[in-house]
Amino acid sequence: MSVSPTVGATPGDDLTMAKRRRRLFSLGGWELSLLVLLIIVTTSFGLGVPGFFDNLSGFLAMTSNFLPFGIVALGLSLVIFTGGIDLSVGATASLAAVVAAQLWATMGLNIWVASLLGLAMGGLLGGINAAVIVLLRIEPLIATLATSFIYTSAAVAVAGDSPPSGFPDAFNNMGSGAMAWGSFQFPYQLLIFIPLAVLFWLLVTRSAFGRKLVTVGYNSEAARYSGIRVPRVLAAAYVISGMMAALAGLVLSAYYSAARADMGDVLLLTTIAMVVLGGVSIFGGEGRMGGVIVAVLLLGLLRQGMLIAGFSDMVTSMLTGAILIGSIAIRNIFSTRVGGFGKRLLALIRRPAIAGPDATRHDAP
Amino acid sequence: MSAVAMPSRRRAIAPRFTMTRELTLVAVTVGLTITVGLLNHDFVGAQNLRFMLLNSVVLSLVALGQTLVIAMRGIDLSVAPILGLAAMVCGLLAQTHGLSLAAALPLALCIGLVLGTINGVLVATMDIPPIVVTLGTYSLYSGLTFIYSDGTQVDAVSPTFAAFGNGHLLDVVPIPTPVVVLLVILALCWYVLRHTGFGRAVLAIGNNASAAYAAGLPVTWVRIRVYALSGMLAAFAGLMFLCYTGSATVTAGTGDHIELQSIAVSLIGGTAIAGGRGNLIGTVLGSLFLSVVLTALVFLHVPPIWYSAGEGLMILAAVQAGFGRRGARA
Amino acid sequence: MITARRMLVLAAAATLAIASAVSAQTVDTSKRIKVAMVPKLVGLSVFKANQQGAEAAAKTLNIDFLYTGPVTASAQGQVDVFNSLIARKFDVITTTSNNPTQLAPALKRAMKQGIKVVSYDSDVSPDARDFFIQNTEYPAFGKALVDSVAKYIPADSEVAILSSTKDATIQNEWINALTAYMKTAYPKMKIVTTEYGQSDPSKSLTAGLNILQAHPNVAAIIAPDGASEVGAAAAVQKLGRTGKVFVTGCSNPDAIRQYVKAGIIKASPLWDEVKEGQLVMHVARLAANNALKPNDTFSVPGLGDYTVKDKVIIFSEPLIFTAENIDQYKF
Repeated sequence: MSVSPTVGATPGDDLTMAKRRRRLFSLGGWELSLLVLLIIVTTSFGLGVPGFFDNLSGFLAMTSNFLPFGIVALGLSLVIFTGGIDLSVGATASLAAVVAAQLWATMGLNIWVASLLGLAMGGLLGGINAAVIVLLRIEPLIATLATSFIYTSAAVAVAGDSPPSGFPDAFNNMGSGAMAWGSFQFPYQLLIFIPLAVLFWLLVTRSAFGRKLVTVGYNSEAARYSGIRVPRVLAAAYVISGMMAALAGLVLSAYYSAARADMGDVLLLTTIAMVVLGGVSIFGGEGRMGGVIVAVLLLGLLRQGMLIAGFSDMVTSMLTGAILIGSIAIRNIFSTRVGGFGKRLLALIRRPAIAGPDATRHDAP
Repeated sequence: MSAVAMPSRRRAIAPRFTMTRELTLVAVTVGLTITVGLLNHDFVGAQNLRFMLLNSVVLSLVALGQTLVIAMRGIDLSVAPILGLAAMVCGLLAQTHGLSLAAALPLALCIGLVLGTINGVLVATMDIPPIVVTLGTYSLYSGLTFIYSDGTQVDAVSPTFAAFGNGHLLDVVPIPTPVVVLLVILALCWYVLRHTGFGRAVLAIGNNASAAYAAGLPVTWVRIRVYALSGMLAAFAGLMFLCYTGSATVTAGTGDHIELQSIAVSLIGGTAIAGGRGNLIGTVLGSLFLSVVLTALVFLHVPPIWYSAGEGLMILAAVQAGFGRRGARA
Repeated sequence: MITARRMLVLAAAATLAIASAVSAQTVDTSKRIKVAMVPKLVGLSVFKANQQGAEAAAKTLNIDFLYTGPVTASAQGQVDVFNSLIARKFDVITTTSNNPTQLAPALKRAMKQGIKVVSYDSDVSPDARDFFIQNTEYPAFGKALVDSVAKYIPADSEVAILSSTKDATIQNEWINALTAYMKTAYPKMKIVTTEYGQSDPSKSLTAGLNILQAHPNVAAIIAPDGASEVGAAAAVQKLGRTGKVFVTGCSNPDAIRQYVKAGIIKASPLWDEVKEGQLVMHVARLAANNALKPNDTFSVPGLGDYTVKDKVIIFSEPLIFTAENIDQYKF
C-alpha cells in the first residue's frame, strides 16, 4: 500500500493538502470532544437512569439496537468522503435482506449461503449506483434517489404478500444473540462491528485507497490530473457502501428474525446524521473514520438512554436534531477561533460557508 | 417562456441550453401524454388533464423554494415538516376555532417565515452545512407538529378552504384556482431570480460563494432570505395541501418525502445541484412531468408495486435527457 | 312465615354478597401496575380513541398508564419503545403492530422478563404475546365491507380496492374475506384493480383519483384502511361522481362524517375504538393478575361478556356507521 507522492498535490494546494493530510493522521480535537461527550453521556445515564447500566452485559446488549446504523455509516462515510452521497442505502438494505430471505425460504438455500448472496447483491446494487453516476454522469444525489425508488419497488416485489420470517436460531443470534463467557455476555453485533470499524479506520487512514478517496472528494479534477483513476475510486466507494448497507439489512433481519421490504427505510437520515456528526464534511474531502465511529456510539447510546429515561420517541428525535445542529455549530465556532478572535467575529457575521476547494469545482462548466 | 435573461456576472450557460431543457421537458411530457392518450382515451380527457395539473401544484410550490435554495448551492430538507406544520396548525385552528382562510394565509406564511429564517440563520451565520441544519430542523419541526396536534388529525375543512383548493377563480375561465396561484407565484419567483439584484446574488453565491463575498455581496443576508423564502413557499404549499386534500395528519409532507421529491424535480428541471443555475420554469415542468408519469403508470395498468421504480427510471431518463447532469467532474 | 320470608331475604342477600365477591375477585386491583399502550404511531385519531378509553379504564383498575409510540409507522420505532419499556420494568405492554413478524423477538424478550404482552387491532406472531384482542372476526368484517356498498350498486358492477400496503396483514385478511364473500353473495361483481395508498392521506387521494380515471366503470371503492377510505371518498367528491360511485372502508367517524352526510359513503363498518381501549386495559389487568387462561370467559362491567379462545378475544361485531347514527360517535 504505497502512496504516490503526487496524490492531491496540485500546484497552489500544497499547503492545505499537507495540513489536511496531517489532520487525517492525528487524533483531532473534534474526535476527542465527541469522545468526552460520549463518556459524559454514558456515565450520567448510567448514574441517573435505572435500567441503563445494571451490568456490563446488559449495557453491551443495548448496542444491538443501533449498530446496524453504524454498519451503514461506515460504508456511507466512504461515499461522503468522495463528495458524493448514497440515498439508496435504506432501499439497498431492504432489497438485499429480502432477496437473501427469499432464497432461504423458497429455494431452500442454507441461510449463510443466502446471506453471502445478499451481500453480493448489495455490492451489485452499489455497482449500479456507481455506473449511473460515473457512466451516465448523473449527480450522486439524484442518481441514488432514483435508484432507491427502483430498489424499493424490487424489494416490495420480491418480498410478496407475506415476507419470510422465523429464521434459524444461529442466524437470529447474529442480530440479537451474545457470546457468553460465564455470566458475561458479548453481543455478536459488536463482534461484527468492532473489526469492521478497525478495518475501515485503517482503510481510510493507512491505505492508498483511503487517501485517494479523500483526494477525489477534495478536488476530483486535481485527483484526475495527479493520476488517480477517479471512476474506479468512486465505483469502489459505492460498491462498499452497498455491501455495508446489505450487511446492515441482514443483521436487521436477524435482529427481527424477519425480513421486510420497508425495513431499511429508517436507516438513511440517522446514518447521515452519524456521519456528519462524526466530522465528515458533507462536501467531501475531509473527516476521519474515528469520529464517525464515536458518533455512532454517541447518537445510539443517547437515544437508548433517553428512551429508557422515559422520554418519548418524539422528544428523543427532536433533541437528537438539536444536538446535531448544536455540536456542529460549536465545532465551527471553535475551529475558527484558531484564526483569531477578530476573524471569528467577522466569520460569524459574513463568512461564506464555501471556501477554496469548491470554487474550483464550480469553474467546471 | 423566455428564460433567456442570464445574469451578466455568469459566463457559463448559454441561453439556448436553458430553453432546450424546458423544451425537452415539454416535448417529453406532451409525447408521453399523447402516447398514453392513444392507448386510453380517458387519459387525455379534460378531467384527467385537470387533475394531473392539480396534483402537481403542491409539489411545484415546495420545489420553487427548493430550486432557489439549490441554485444558491444549498439544500432544504426541512420543507417537508414545514409543510406539515403549516397544514396542521391552520387545519386544526380552522376545524376547532373556525379560522378563516383569510386569516390562515398570513398565519401559514408567518410559520414558514419563522422556521425558514431559523434555517437561514443557522446556515449563514454558524457556517453549518445546509444538509446538516435542515436534517436537524427536520426532526425539530416534525416534533413541533406532533406536539401541536397532540395525536389528533384534521378531517374536514370548511367550504371556503375546499373551494380554494379545488374551485375555479372565475367561472368563465375553467382553470383551477391552485394552478392560477402557482403561475402567479412562479412569475414572481422568476422575476426575482432573473431581474433583481437579489436574484443575481443568489446565483453568484451558488456559483462561487467566496467570489461573491469578495465582490461585496451581502452573502449572509441573501442566504437567510432565501431559506426564509423557501420556508414560506413550503408553508404556503402546506395550506394548499390542506385545501386540496381536505385533511392533514402528522405525517403530511414527511410521509410523502416531499423534500426528496422537490429536490428531484428541481434537478429534472435543470437546476444544478452544485449551484449557480436555477431554472424555475423547468422545476414546475418537472413537477408536472412527474405527475403525468405517475398517472400514466396507472392508466397503463402497471402493477402498483412498480410505480416507484417507474418514477425512478423516469427521473433518470429526464435528467439524462438534458442538462441536469454534472459537468466534467467525474 | 315470617322466618321463612326472612330466610329468603337473607339467602338472597347472601347470594348477592357472594356474587359481588366473585366479581371483585375476577378483577383484583390491589396492586398498582404499570401498563403501556404502544400504537403503530402516535398521531392518528383512531389510536387516540383507543387511548381515550384505555385512560379512563386505567383509573378504575389502579393502573399507571403510559401512551407512547414511534413518530413514524415503523417496526424499528416500536422495538425501540419496547426495549425502553422492558428496561423500565413495566408490568404489561399492549400494542398494535406495524407488522406481525418484526416485533416478535423484542416482545419475546419482554415475556421472558415476566412482562405480559397484549396485542390488539393488528396482531403479532401468536408466540410473541399472551393475548390478542381482535377487533371483529375477519369474515364478518369482510361481509360488512361488501354489504356496505353492494346494496347501492348493480349486481354486476366493477369494484376497486384501495388498501394500505401490499403486505399489511389485517388488510390482506379483510381483502381475502371480502373476496370470498363477494364470490358467493354477489358472483357477478368483479374486482378490477387493487391499489395502495400507503396509509397516507395524500397518496390515498391520488390513488383514488387514479382508480376513478383509469377505470371509469368502477361503481364502488372498498378501502379497508383509515386513510384510504377518506382518500377514495375525497376523490369521488372531486371528480363529481357522487351518487355514481360509493365508497366504504374502516375510518373513524370524525374522518368520514362529511362524506357520509354527502352520500358518498352510505355505510362504513368499524368498531367502537373507545370501548376497545377499555377492554384492552381490562385484559391487561387480568393478564397481570394471572387471572386469565388461554381458554376462558370473563365479563367487563359496561362492556359485556367475552370468551377467550386460544388466547384470542373477539372484541365485537362490526359497528356500521350510517348517516342516521354517525353523530352519536365522536372519535
